[in-house]
Amino acid sequence: MVPSDAELLRLMLAGEEKAFTELYRRHKGLVYRFALLMSGQASVAEEVTQEVFLALLRNGRRYDPERGSLKAYLCGAARNQVLLLMEKERPYVHLVEESDEGGAVPIAQLISGDDPLSDCARKEANRLVRQAVLALPARYREVIVLCDFQEMSYAEAALALDCPIGTVNSRLHRGHALLLKKLRAAVRLDSAAPDAQGMRCFA
Amino acid sequence: MNCQDFEKLALDLARNSLLDATARDQGLIHTEVCSRCAARLAEERALLARVRAVAAELAGEEPPARVDAALLAAFRAQTTATASSTVIPAFGGFRRWASWKSAAVAAGILILISALAIFWKSTNSRMPRREERAVAPAPVNTPDHRAAPPDGRDLMATEQPKTLPKRVRRRASEDSLDEVEVVTRFFPLREGEDLTTLDSLQVVRVELPSSALGEVGLPVDPETVTEPIKADVVLGQDGLARAIRFVR
Repeated sequence: MVPSDAELLRLMLAGEEKAFTELYRRHKGLVYRFALLMSGQASVAEEVTQEVFLALLRNGRRYDPERGSLKAYLCGAARNQVLLLMEKERPYVHLVEESDEGGAVPIAQLISGDDPLSDCARKEANRLVRQAVLALPARYREVIVLCDFQEMSYAEAALALDCPIGTVNSRLHRGHALLLKKLRAAVRLDSAAPDAQGMRCFA
Repeated sequence: MNCQDFEKLALDLARNSLLDATARDQGLIHTEVCSRCAARLAEERALLARVRAVAAELAGEEPPARVDAALLAAFRAQTTATASSTVIPAFGGFRRWASWKSAAVAAGILILISALAIFWKSTNSRMPRREERAVAPAPVNTPDHRAAPPDGRDLMATEQPKTLPKRVRRRASEDSLDEVEVVTRFFPLREGEDLTTLDSLQVVRVELPSSALGEVGLPVDPETVTEPIKADVVLGQDGLARAIRFVR
């Protein structure tokens, strides 16, 4: 039988390393991708992931399974970290990140599929969506990332964002409207816009 | 249903998350008679499809291995520190206070060890190689180290480095007044690690609760469990504690 998150957390807090590694394996992708979509930067996502799990090590007892899923709890912690980092970075102009390989593009990105043209079009379409999401004000972006990208329920998103479900619903509506507007504008302006990573909105 | 009502449902209809079947049916019927709302629903569905395409593209994105390693090291450090400082029984309403206290003690020990290591490095850039090797004793790698009797004295390891930080040096001189130090052998803090493969090691002296003795299988006197005991901690180049011995 697969142990629940709450059970793993209990074991982890009791010092079981396997429980910690299993919890981390289950949720690291979720936290990392949330931070990546919110910030547009791999380095921020990396830092946020590390901070979130360090906080879980330190303050894991604060999590109450009766209030909601660990997934939502971790996303809430990640959201707070992202906002904190974004606030710190506000005065700075962000430069396009280099990859770990000293600026080289990972090989996987250089290999195209059977249809390079459609691959290219798909990547471009995805880039536009990410760029448009990053340009949204944070309060709409976080709801869209949680509900649409992570496919969380409104209740889980509400827990992560520490707000009522109705607020999640209304922000999602407003966020979609803004996102559609931005995507229409992006399509009209063609794809000559700068890289998504430099377009984050701090509103 | 009118267009205004439909607008409220459009998103949930597109997401297929509308639980009320009647409302869903009414909404879909409305799209058959209202081309504007039909277009609105199609637009929402297209947007969700695009968002999910991005989500699928990112599905394999995970933090790099260095984050995994850092977190695992943090977990091990915390487990070791907490284990050696949480033997004071917590009871009743003081349980929470006791856990905070334990965490504070653990954090204090870690900070003390790190501060001493940094201070040592800054004051003694040329670490005496002979002594480094002297504190990387063979018993550390003995597989049955936990089962071994704790009465073995490591005479080589009693020798202190010549240039200790001030605080440690003062203590060493104070100790010299008490004649001879009695030390245990070194106990490894990380399972299966061969200390002899490390380039350099440093030893710092710290004080821990006597309960820490129990963590390496040594007997603990219940009456003195909260009293401090001196210990020498072996630090690797990365500043992480690798082995420990106790001093009387």
